[in-house]
Amino acid sequence: MGKIELKLKKEPTFSLEAESISPDNFKGKTEKEIMVLRLFHGNEKLKIKDFFTVKGNGGDNIDDIEIAISGNLVKIKRIGEKMSGGKIVINGDVGMHVGNSMSGGKIVVKGNADDWAGAMMKGGELEITGNAGNYVGAAYRGNWEGMTNGIIKVKGSVGFEAMIWARGSTPQKRFPKFICGSAGQFLGLHNHGGIIICEGDAEARVAADQARGVVVVKGKIKRMMPSFKKIGEVPEIELPDGKKITGNFFEYSGDHATSKETKGRLFVAK
Amino acid sequence: MAKIIKEDVVCPFCGTLCDDIIVIVEDNGIIEVQNACAIGTAKFFSSNASDHRYTEPLIRNNGKLEVVSWEIALNKAAKLLAKAKRPLSYGWSSTECDAQRKAVELMEVCGGVLDNTASVCHGPSLLAIQDVGCPTSTLGEYKNRADLVIFWGSNPVHAHPRHMSRYSDFIRGYFRVDGYLDRKIIVVDPRNTHTAQLADMYIQVNPGEDYELFNAIRAMLRGVELDVNEVAGVPIEQIKELIETLKSCKFGVLFFGLGLSMSKGKHRNVDGGISLIRELNDHTKFLLTPMRGHYNVSGANIVFSWITGYPFSIDFSKDYPRYNPGEFSAVDLLINNDFDVTLIVASDPASNFPKDAVINMLKKPLIIIEPHKTPTSEMANIVLPPAIAGIECEGTAYRMDKVPLRLRKVKNAPEGCKTDVEIVEDLIKKVKKLKGE
Repeated sequence: MGKIELKLKKEPTFSLEAESISPDNFKGKTEKEIMVLRLFHGNEKLKIKDFFTVKGNGGDNIDDIEIAISGNLVKIKRIGEKMSGGKIVINGDVGMHVGNSMSGGKIVVKGNADDWAGAMMKGGELEITGNAGNYVGAAYRGNWEGMTNGIIKVKGSVGFEAMIWARGSTPQKRFPKFICGSAGQFLGLHNHGGIIICEGDAEARVAADQARGVVVVKGKIKRMMPSFKKIGEVPEIELPDGKKITGNFFEYSGDHATSKETKGRLFVAK
Repeated sequence: MAKIIKEDVVCPFCGTLCDDIIVIVEDNGIIEVQNACAIGTAKFFSSNASDHRYTEPLIRNNGKLEVVSWEIALNKAAKLLAKAKRPLSYGWSSTECDAQRKAVELMEVCGGVLDNTASVCHGPSLLAIQDVGCPTSTLGEYKNRADLVIFWGSNPVHAHPRHMSRYSDFIRGYFRVDGYLDRKIIVVDPRNTHTAQLADMYIQVNPGEDYELFNAIRAMLRGVELDVNEVAGVPIEQIKELIETLKSCKFGVLFFGLGLSMSKGKHRNVDGGISLIRELNDHTKFLLTPMRGHYNVSGANIVFSWITGYPFSIDFSKDYPRYNPGEFSAVDLLINNDFDVTLIVASDPASNFPKDAVINMLKKPLIIIEPHKTPTSEMANIVLPPAIAGIECEGTAYRMDKVPLRLRKVKNAPEGCKTDVEIVEDLIKKVKKLKGE
């Protein structure tokens, strides 16, 4: 067993940094030990029990741990940071950096997520049933390697610069994957081998500076990058991870701003 | 009273930091300024006694600002900062480096957030530089060598009035003996600005489509034939002509302004620009420099970086510095109501921040260190009047090309004004005492 319930009992005045809320930190801890884990509220160092009611103990096996969190969590940042296993279910909207740098396990956000959700993920699964902010699955400032593995699914829209600097590797069988309902500008910027699927429309600058990888837009792109070249039409797309997408698509190569010959591909619905 | 002539004064207004100003002072008042542009001259004259100048500390009492002693004002400010759980300090770009150095210490002691004006100015340029680097040089190098100068999204005729005559266009350089006749000027801007009207080639790009134009140029530079006939409102023929001009120069330089860093795409526009410059070095010599606004915003970035590792938007709440513009930047904190006290130094956010940010800022205690009456200071709870750095006290400032210059003192500050450093040092001492450190 390892079911833990966290309920927000007091709303924070400032943003609350809660990287301690993760299966890795709850593993092997009793209810009382979980209650005194550190939270940062502005420059105050507080405890989980100051803001949450806690029910349940963390088991010894990380994969059995399931954390359910509820309440108005828009100011709570960094839930599930660096987690390597287990499951977190967030009932409601959540603040910035949810699931950033996670390497395993699963996070389900039943609501909207703020900026930097799943930034620099190394594995695992992040599912957001609502919309997500900017920089979903992105690289942090100055990093050349963003998401390297795992999958992010956003049912609604994502903001600017989702999935930038994604780094996949076919020989190492790492295929960072991103699926969203619709996207703002710079979806898949500087893509190096990521698989990016947009179920609806994307705004502009899609796959800009892409070196390799695949971006699929099943809707329309409001403004296409001029540095992409149309190759032809395809009835089916085979993704680098072996999965297939059927439907009529225009195939583009690019971004040619990065090199004359490129393995980067952009597919847009016909 | 005898007139005192001060020569080789550095102008503390814009990032060009002209260092050939002559100031004539009589009876501790500036009566004449030579060589400076209209804006710089106005800044020097603003130090003279007037209704707009604060000379005593003020505290708001029953809605009115009342004169108090330094001791009372500093104690009250220190108490607010020491008690605060999420203090925010913003500004710092129009003061000298020693004050900026102390700013870092103050915010570290308070466990607050420290930001400078770069976050609403060239901050995105810094993000791009952190992503893709920056091939750059000093302005003197450009003056002596550049035969092709591009102004992209910047209008120096109005924003940096002496830039073109001192470094980039009209001036004679060592290898550019005929001055402007030896240089070609290209301006890329949505508006036909006064700088554009001086240019040899003007490219009118659609507003907010600079990124597309950069990538199109980069692709065409690699010999790729594009599928389109025009990019961002610019015909392909004109882009081809531009590329030939870029490739055939001996030494090119790109100066870019807020037209890139603050239009849609922000740091990615600059990313595109830097990538283009980097790739042009396969063909010829090409460098770039951002046109920094405040005279020492470059210094603020450098001082903050050498102490904390980060140029702006720094959070000390966990006792060590963390950096994330968009999360710890002043506008975001204010809009998200994620602060409890603001300390504004040498800046006027009430005039140029988004409305919602200003409304939130005014709901909570506001301390300002500011020599003049501004919309922000008029609504502050505590006003601490400093001597104007570079006019009434010495200091160091960094030019837009990161060359440090020593600012000069030309006159005395009004009696009762302390320097920025003294004020911040006093605050640090008092906050430390209150926190029991």
